[in-house]
Amino acid sequence: MAGQSTSQTPSSSSSSTSSVAVIYFAILGIVTVAAGVADLLVTASGSEFAYGILEVPNDLFRGGWGGLIMLFAGLLYLSGVRNMDDIHQFAKVTMGSILIWILSGCDIFARITESIPSSSEETGPWFNTLPGFIEAYAPPYAPAVLLLPFSLVVLYYISKRASGETRGGNSS
Amino acid sequence: MKILLMGHPNVGKSVFFNRLTGANVTESNYPGTTVDYTKGWMKIEGEDVELIDVPGTFSLDPKDRAEEVAVAMLHESKDVRVISVIDASKIERGLYLAMEILEEGYPLVIALNMRDVAEDKNIVIDAGKLEWILGVPVVSTVAIAGEGIKELVSRIREAKPVDVADITANTASTADAAAGTAGGEV
Amino acid sequence: MKLSPEERWDLIDRISRETVSFGAYRHTLKDAIGELTIKPMTGIPIAIAVMYGFWSVFGSFAGFFTDGFFVRLFDAYWLPWLQEVFPGQGRFLYTIMVDAGGIDSGEFVLSSNCLESFGVLTSGLFVAIGIVLPAILIFYLTLALLEDIGYMPRLAVLIDTMLHKIGLHGYAIVPTILSLGCNVPGVAATRILETKKQRFIMMTLLAIFIPCGAQIGIMQDVVPDLMGWILLYLIIGYFIFGYILNKVIPGMAPEFLIDVPPYRRPMLSNIGKKVFGRVKGFFVVAIPFVMLGCAIVGVLYQFGVIRFLGDLLAPIFVGWFGVPAETAGPLIAAFLRKDLAVAQLSVIEMTKYQMITSVVLVSIYFPCVATFAMMLKEGWKELIGALAVLAVTVFAYGGLIHLIGILLGVA
Repeated sequence: MAGQSTSQTPSSSSSSTSSVAVIYFAILGIVTVAAGVADLLVTASGSEFAYGILEVPNDLFRGGWGGLIMLFAGLLYLSGVRNMDDIHQFAKVTMGSILIWILSGCDIFARITESIPSSSEETGPWFNTLPGFIEAYAPPYAPAVLLLPFSLVVLYYISKRASGETRGGNSS
Repeated sequence: MKILLMGHPNVGKSVFFNRLTGANVTESNYPGTTVDYTKGWMKIEGEDVELIDVPGTFSLDPKDRAEEVAVAMLHESKDVRVISVIDASKIERGLYLAMEILEEGYPLVIALNMRDVAEDKNIVIDAGKLEWILGVPVVSTVAIAGEGIKELVSRIREAKPVDVADITANTASTADAAAGTAGGEV
Repeated sequence: MKLSPEERWDLIDRISRETVSFGAYRHTLKDAIGELTIKPMTGIPIAIAVMYGFWSVFGSFAGFFTDGFFVRLFDAYWLPWLQEVFPGQGRFLYTIMVDAGGIDSGEFVLSSNCLESFGVLTSGLFVAIGIVLPAILIFYLTLALLEDIGYMPRLAVLIDTMLHKIGLHGYAIVPTILSLGCNVPGVAATRILETKKQRFIMMTLLAIFIPCGAQIGIMQDVVPDLMGWILLYLIIGYFIFGYILNKVIPGMAPEFLIDVPPYRRPMLSNIGKKVFGRVKGFFVVAIPFVMLGCAIVGVLYQFGVIRFLGDLLAPIFVGWFGVPAETAGPLIAAFLRKDLAVAQLSVIEMTKYQMITSVVLVSIYFPCVATFAMMLKEGWKELIGALAVLAVTVFAYGGLIHLIGILLGVA
């Protein structure tokens, strides 16, 4: 969110990116690539990895395919971060975020659907208990979910670019 | 009287159909959603009129089964008026089909749809002038948002057959006028 | 007065020069993202991500309703209640409608769940409502979303090169994906293909290799860990036999020209209408067919027809396909109801590989009756051709899968 203060000045309204944005997405890109590689390595080795609130998935679907997608999201960030004023470059950064939204959205949706029904077998109650329901949302989280808030920053730049475009359109 | 909705694939014919009849025809954002025609009823000034959603076709010279259905629909119906739905961002291709229909002597109204997309691409169409040249009603619409639908309905009655020679004459006269005043313009 | 195409273009050219002005074309973010999703370098990984999302949401949603609620409802309440109140246990009607039961050490015992009971009111209802309904609902919901955003044509462009190898083009992805919901609208959608040859290849491949939503739903429920392998075999089969058909069948397979529409914000009302219409359409067809199919299978079992055919064909199943003799019954029954057959297979003891083989066999079998009728509507010659291909395919591909298993040392 540090980019906000530097770019509110009228002089930079035509260019929608600042050096802060470049550094931000470069770091996010590196972290995302690392997360993707970690997913793939943990899955390939069949081991488990958890640290603090982080838990790397290790099943073929979320760890394997998910890791591949995560790796790609990171590469999109990194390849788009240079010359971000260009719409094609900025689109890559946006796409990187969209991939993270897909991954984390699927994770969160899976948690929601698993948290509601009762986990007991056969003739138990229909719904989960309240503590059980809340517990389902407790950490650890997958890397994609942890990266979600950081990837949302792109929305700020999209809206800034959109407002810049309409202003530019009126003046010309 | 019957009204046919004709145009290229994926220009929004089914959207018009649903708007005009309140029916539930599947609309999708890809070409070829309608492979068979659908009929419905709409009201024009209190009168019930049959409206037909024709599969998308590029010309009156059919290339696949869905297009065959479209062309057969036009030729086999009596007392028809055609709403030619044109993608405003690809107006030339749309006019080609509209022209073919006009040449066969069918009364026509043109709906310049997806104006919003054209605007995104910075394409501006002078609908009034187009109407003057063609001699048939031309209405700008954004069917998916419901813009221009009312005007389109109110002008269906004005649809009339025109002679292509008149259109040619009209373009010639405006071209001459343009050449006289602003000859350098591309 | 009629114009020649040249004269017409010339006139249009003059008209548009008069009326249209092009401003400087500026790319919007939407356009740039649109390009990213089409270029293979970025488009293929994005397509993988979209499929990942599709599948993940499908599994979560279907699991939520089926495992979370319907299994409990049907197994713990509905089945015991029906077993209790339905008169004439062990009699003909009871067997067909409620529970065929089983024989355990010479005694008749009732089934403990709705996948084993094979009654019209138990297995039939459970499959139709408990498994197929959630699967179909979420499938059509996500599909409608992708369609209305405008992703589908981009997928078509991406996969175009690959589909050309089998005589089709990118647009074949539309009937293919529609068929994953239900083969009936999939067969109808083949009309967007240009030539007879293409339509025939497409229809045949759809009927054989594309499992419908009902099948996917039930496979996901009873053999979730084998899904990846089963789908892999089906996709490989789709391309192998598409390739062969393209070589064998005379005719043209023209290039495809496609307009890629811009991305659009999906309209909730349209998605709602579309999903409702499709789910309704599916259910009007599916529920009666599931129930009727269940009843017919039950009757055939009762009269020993399936046992007889199973015994007769068991050597083929065991020797050629490498699956246990007990699968013969369900594989025969699969001619009527594929989804029920998968459920039946899931309770038979066999190795993983045999399970994969038998479920793949069920999938590539005879298309369901509704699809059959739809194909007949498109032309009886095509239908007969498709059935001939089907017969060859089942034997060839079933044998091939067995062979692969032998070579891998797992069969």
